[in-house]
Amino acid sequence: MDLFLQQLINGVIIGSTYAVVAIGFALVFTVLRVINFAHPEIFMTGMFAGLLAGSHISDNFFVVLIFGAIGAGAVGLTLERFVLRPLRGRDVLMTLIGTLGVAIMLQNGMAKFMSPDPVAYPKSLQVSLLLSDEIILTSTQAVNFIVSILLLAGVSFYVRKTRYGRATRAIAERPDVAAAFGVDVNRVSQVTVALASVMAGIAAVSVGILYGSAWAFVGLFYGLKAFICMLVAGNRYFEGVILVAMMLGVIEALVTGYVSSNFRDVAAFTILICVLYFRPNGLFGSYDT
Amino acid sequence: MSPLLTISDLHVSYKAVPAVAGANLELFPGELRVILGSNGAGKSTIIKSILGLVKPSRGLILFEGEHELTALAPHQIHKLGISWVPEGRQLWGTLTVYDNLRMGGFIEADDAKISQRIGEMLERFPRLAERRNQVAGSLSGGEQQMVALARALVSGPKLILMDEPSLGLAPIVIRDVFELVKEINASGISILMVEQNVRQALKVAKWAYLLEVGRVVENGPSDEIANNESVREIFLGGRH
Amino acid sequence: MWIYAYWEPVLIITLIHVIFTAGLYVTALSGQLSLATAAIAGIGAYCAAVLTTNFEWPFVPATVVAIIAGGLVGAFIAAITVKMRDFILKLTTLAFGEAVAVICFNIDYIGGANSFTGIPLFTSIWVALIATGLVLYVAWRFDGSRLGFASRAVRDDPLAASATGVSVLWVRMVTFALGGAIVGAGGSLQAHYVLIINPQELGFFVSLTFIIFLLVGGMQSLWGPVLAAVVLTALPEVTRFANEYRLILYGFVIVLVVLFRQEGMVTRIPTGRGSRLFNSSGTTQKAAE
Repeated sequence: MDLFLQQLINGVIIGSTYAVVAIGFALVFTVLRVINFAHPEIFMTGMFAGLLAGSHISDNFFVVLIFGAIGAGAVGLTLERFVLRPLRGRDVLMTLIGTLGVAIMLQNGMAKFMSPDPVAYPKSLQVSLLLSDEIILTSTQAVNFIVSILLLAGVSFYVRKTRYGRATRAIAERPDVAAAFGVDVNRVSQVTVALASVMAGIAAVSVGILYGSAWAFVGLFYGLKAFICMLVAGNRYFEGVILVAMMLGVIEALVTGYVSSNFRDVAAFTILICVLYFRPNGLFGSYDT
Repeated sequence: MSPLLTISDLHVSYKAVPAVAGANLELFPGELRVILGSNGAGKSTIIKSILGLVKPSRGLILFEGEHELTALAPHQIHKLGISWVPEGRQLWGTLTVYDNLRMGGFIEADDAKISQRIGEMLERFPRLAERRNQVAGSLSGGEQQMVALARALVSGPKLILMDEPSLGLAPIVIRDVFELVKEINASGISILMVEQNVRQALKVAKWAYLLEVGRVVENGPSDEIANNESVREIFLGGRH
Repeated sequence: MWIYAYWEPVLIITLIHVIFTAGLYVTALSGQLSLATAAIAGIGAYCAAVLTTNFEWPFVPATVVAIIAGGLVGAFIAAITVKMRDFILKLTTLAFGEAVAVICFNIDYIGGANSFTGIPLFTSIWVALIATGLVLYVAWRFDGSRLGFASRAVRDDPLAASATGVSVLWVRMVTFALGGAIVGAGGSLQAHYVLIINPQELGFFVSLTFIIFLLVGGMQSLWGPVLAAVVLTALPEVTRFANEYRLILYGFVIVLVVLFRQEGMVTRIPTGRGSRLFNSSGTTQKAAE
C-alpha cells in the first residue's frame, strides 16, 4: 500500500510536468497546425536560462523562474518567426521533421555551449521532507507540482475566458472563417507560441530545482512523452491532455514500482498504439487537419 | 454617388487552373447585387478574393474608393466593415450559438458593447435566443443559416458578402431566408450575393451579374436579366 | 592517390544505406511513410546475428531469416495501421520503432545495453555490391509493376483505389512486407560488417536519416532517393567535420531541406514506361504557385 501511494505521488508530480509540456504542444499544434518538436528544447533552454541567472545574478527562486520564462519565451518567439511561421500549412510530418532539425541544433548547441553532461542547478529552495518517513514528499516536489497546477489553470483560463483564447478554438476549427471575422492569425500564433514557451520555461526551472541539475538532452525525456500525451488525448479539449498526462505519469510510476524501471518508457508507446488503434483521433477527438 | 465596391480585371487561379479570368463588377451603397452562374463558374472565388482569403494574380478590388483590398489581410478587410456569410454556413460547430455570435464580433474589444449587440441579434432572431447555449453543430440547416446571418451582422458591417445562402435548405426555409436578406438590405447594409437559386435571387436583387467560366458574360438590372433569353434557357428551364 | 582500403568502408556503408533507402521507398509507395526503418533493420540484424554468432549458421541462410523477419514485421505494422489515417499512421510507426528500441535495450540475451558483439565479418564489398544490385533490381521492377501502380493509387486516393477493386489492406501489406524484407536484409549486412548491434541505433533518430534521403531525393522515382543516399552518406565521410559541430550542422541541414525543398531534388527521371497515371503527392502542393 505504501509503495502504491508513493508511486502515485511520484507519478502525479511527474505527470504534471508532462502536462505542461504537452499542453504547449497541443496549443501550438491547434493554432499553427505545426508539430513543434523543438518545444521540449524550448523547455531545456528555459532551464539553462534560469541556471545562468541563478549563477550570475541571484539564486532567488523568483529571479531564476523569471529568467527561465524570458529565455524560453525568447527562443520560442524566434523560432516562431523563422521556422514555425514558414512551416504553417505544410504537411504535418514535414513540420515535425523540420522542427526536429531545430531540436537537434539546440540540444547539441547547448551541449557544446554548456556541457553534454548534467550541470548543477542553483539551490533556490530548501529541500525538506513533508510527509511521513514511509511516504516521501519533498518541498521541492510540492513546489514543482504547485507551479505546474498554476500554469495549467492559467492555460485553462486563457483558452476559455480570454478573447485570444476563444479565438484559438475558432482558428482550430475554421481558420479561414476566423480570419474573415477579424482574427489576426499571425498575432494569435505569436501569442500562443509565447505562452507555450513561457510556460515550458517556468516548468523547466522548477524541474531543474527539483532534480538539482540541468541537462542539454532533457528534452528527449520529456518531449516524446508529452507529445504522446497530446496524441492520445486528441487536441479537442485541452483538459483532456492534462488528464492523460497525469495518468501517464502515474502509470509509468506504477510500472517502475511494480514491474521494472526498464519498461517504464515502453508504457507510453504501448498506450499510444492501443489508443490510436481504437480511436484514431485520440481519446477525446479532433486533430482537425 | 461613387461605388462602395469596385472589382476590375480580376484574375484568380487555383493550382494553375484559372478560376476567374477577367471579371469586372461594382456595387453602390445600399444595393443588393447578385452574381449568378453555374458551379465552377468562379463565383465563390470572387467572394474569397474580396475577403482576402485568396490572392488574385491580377486585378484590383477597391472598397469605398480608397482601400485596395488585394493588399490587405483578411482581418484588416473585416475591420473596414466587410462581413461574410460563407457557403454552407461554416459555423464553429463545437461552439455555442452565443459564442459563434461573440466570435462574429471579435473585433469589438469592449465586452459590454458586444453583449448589447448580441442581445439585439437575439431579439431579432427569437428562435436563436431559445438556442443560445446550444452547440451550433446541433442546429437545423435553417437555424444555422440564421446564426450565420446574425454572426455577419454583429460587427455592424457596411457590406455583407453572401455565398449561396439557399444552399441545402428546404424551399420553405429558403423563402424565410430571403425575407431576412431583404430586411437586412432594407436597413441600409449593402449586400453582394452569390446564388444558384436564380428566381429568388432576382426577386431581391437590384442588379445581376452572370458569370461563366470566370468571366462576366451578362450584367444588368434584375428584371432585364430575368427576361434575358439565354438566362431563361440556362436557368429557368427552357423557352417561355 | 586512390587507396582502396581507405575508401572501402565508405563504399560499403553507402551501399547498405542505399539498401535501406530502397526498402523505405517501396513501403512509401503505398503512402505509408515508415518511421520504423531502423527498428526493422535492427530486428533483421538481431535475427541473423544471433544465428551466425550463437548457432554458427552460415551467412546466407541467416540473412534469409532476417529477410523473412523483416517482412513479417512489416506486414504486422501494416495490419495494425490499416484503419489509421496518414498522420497517425506515421506516428504509430514512430512509436513502434521506439518501443522496439527500448525493448531490445532491455533484453540481456542480445546484449542489452552493452550491445550485441562478436558478430563474424561476412559482408565484403562483393557481398554488398551483389546485395545492393539485387535489391535495386527488385525495387525497380516492383516500382514499374502493376502492384507498383496499384500502390501509388492507394497512396493518392485509397477510396478511389478500392472502388476500382484494389484491396487497400493487401497493397499496404505487400509494400510494407517487401520494404521490411529489404530493410531486414540490409540490417543483416550491416550487422555483419560493423560487427556490433547497438540498440540505441534502432530508434526514430536513425530512421530519420533515411526519411531525409527520401525527402531530398523526392518520391517520383526510386533513383532520386538512391542518389540522395549516396551523396549524403559519402559526402560527410569525404569532408571531415569536427564531431561536435557535425550534429548541429546535421540539424541545420534538416531544417533547410524541409523549409526549401517542397518536393525533392530529383523530380523526374524518365523511365520509359509510358505516362504516369498518378502524380506523386508533392506535385499538387507545388502547383499552387
